[in-house]
Amino acid sequence: MRKPAAPLSRQSSDDRHDAPAVGSTGSAEALTDVADRLLALRAGEGDDEAFAVLVHRHSASLLALSRHLLGNSADAEDAVQEAFLSAWRRLPEFRHSAAFRTWMYRIVTNRCFNILRGRPPVVPLETVPEPAAPDMGSAPARVTETDATISALVTALRGLSAEQRACWVLRELHGLHYDEIAQVMNTSQQTVRGRLFRARRSLTEAMEPWR
Amino acid sequence: MALEDVPFSGRSGRGLPHEGDQADGSGSPPGIPLPAGDERLPCGRPLSWVWELARDATEADPHTVGCPYCRQAVEGLTALDRATRAMRAEERPAGQTLAERVMRAVRDEVRLGRMLPLDDPSLDLRIAETIAANVLRRAADSVPGARAISCRPAPGDDGTTVHVTMTLALAPDQPLPDRAALVRKAVLRAADRTLGLAVTNVDLEVVALLEPIRPGDAGRRSGQTAAGDGEER
Repeated sequence: MRKPAAPLSRQSSDDRHDAPAVGSTGSAEALTDVADRLLALRAGEGDDEAFAVLVHRHSASLLALSRHLLGNSADAEDAVQEAFLSAWRRLPEFRHSAAFRTWMYRIVTNRCFNILRGRPPVVPLETVPEPAAPDMGSAPARVTETDATISALVTALRGLSAEQRACWVLRELHGLHYDEIAQVMNTSQQTVRGRLFRARRSLTEAMEPWR
Repeated sequence: MALEDVPFSGRSGRGLPHEGDQADGSGSPPGIPLPAGDERLPCGRPLSWVWELARDATEADPHTVGCPYCRQAVEGLTALDRATRAMRAEERPAGQTLAERVMRAVRDEVRLGRMLPLDDPSLDLRIAETIAANVLRRAADSVPGARAISCRPAPGDDGTTVHVTMTLALAPDQPLPDRAALVRKAVLRAADRTLGLAVTNVDLEVVALLEPIRPGDAGRRSGQTAAGDGEER
């Protein structure tokens, strides 16, 4: 079912609308220029290629979120995978009242909370071993001040309640608006502001030695 | 990456609740209770508010600049800000492997939908709606500047024919009817030659325009804004 090649004049055109479609036989590549909202509609009807574009578009930031919330990369990957599968099953009923990204943030955050609830109680902070700086690349194994600062912040984040940590991570590392965070956490903006304040207060105290 | 590089909502002022209430340059946001654990600085401002202003306001707040208590409170954030910037600048985890694993799992979950009649004289052969719809969408996608969104093939009353309802996103660089006609042709051809469906009519509806994607938007490392902010609002 390959379409005949488009006339040369079109192929050489630098019109970016056409670029992905020329010679396309319907691969997911052709859909990379389509907005989330439309892809989600299409995926909701069972189109797995549309869903694949959404998965590729959002998996890195959702994985980062889940790692920040869980602090464990194996659990973090499982949480994101289960969240996407759950989204795929629920998309036919998704009413699109929220953006797809916000909806995914919400599913992932809930997954992470469930995992955290199933974990044994947190051990006192002093006994937590210094966490390895995640993904620091192939730089020589030398602990820079930056690495040490990040480690201190990671440790301080573990000391927060899951809700405070989620509010802080969504705001400061993912740049979500207060209203989006409220949607993700199924709570009011006022509650989000309160949690964010208490998170900042605890983190500021924990980071005091690094001033 | 500096703090300024992150497209924060607050930079537009939208995330800020009390912007209109700053006329007197001090006091607390009216009508909003202090969060638990909050405190008032000697100047009367709640600490939580001073921090929100410091992090979210688009321009320097005159009161903060002149108030030693507020300045000290903001300076308290310095070490945390530095660590936050460092953490934000860390490489995002690669999502590629995970995405592939997710899609293998998704494709294992067959979702068929109802069955449609194929154009077969014995009336025995049927095809799952989802599979047929996917093939017809791909056919529409093959027209440059066209992307299928929804595709609903439905069996006709006679039990042998099929009626297709499709919504489209089209690039606005040529008249929409011309491009829609190409889509209809491609869909009919795929229905006939690829699937063997007897499609009686194809209802097309244009529900969106394909906007040019800004270079580097899709699949950017900080994928957080690529899809969400640019096109969705």
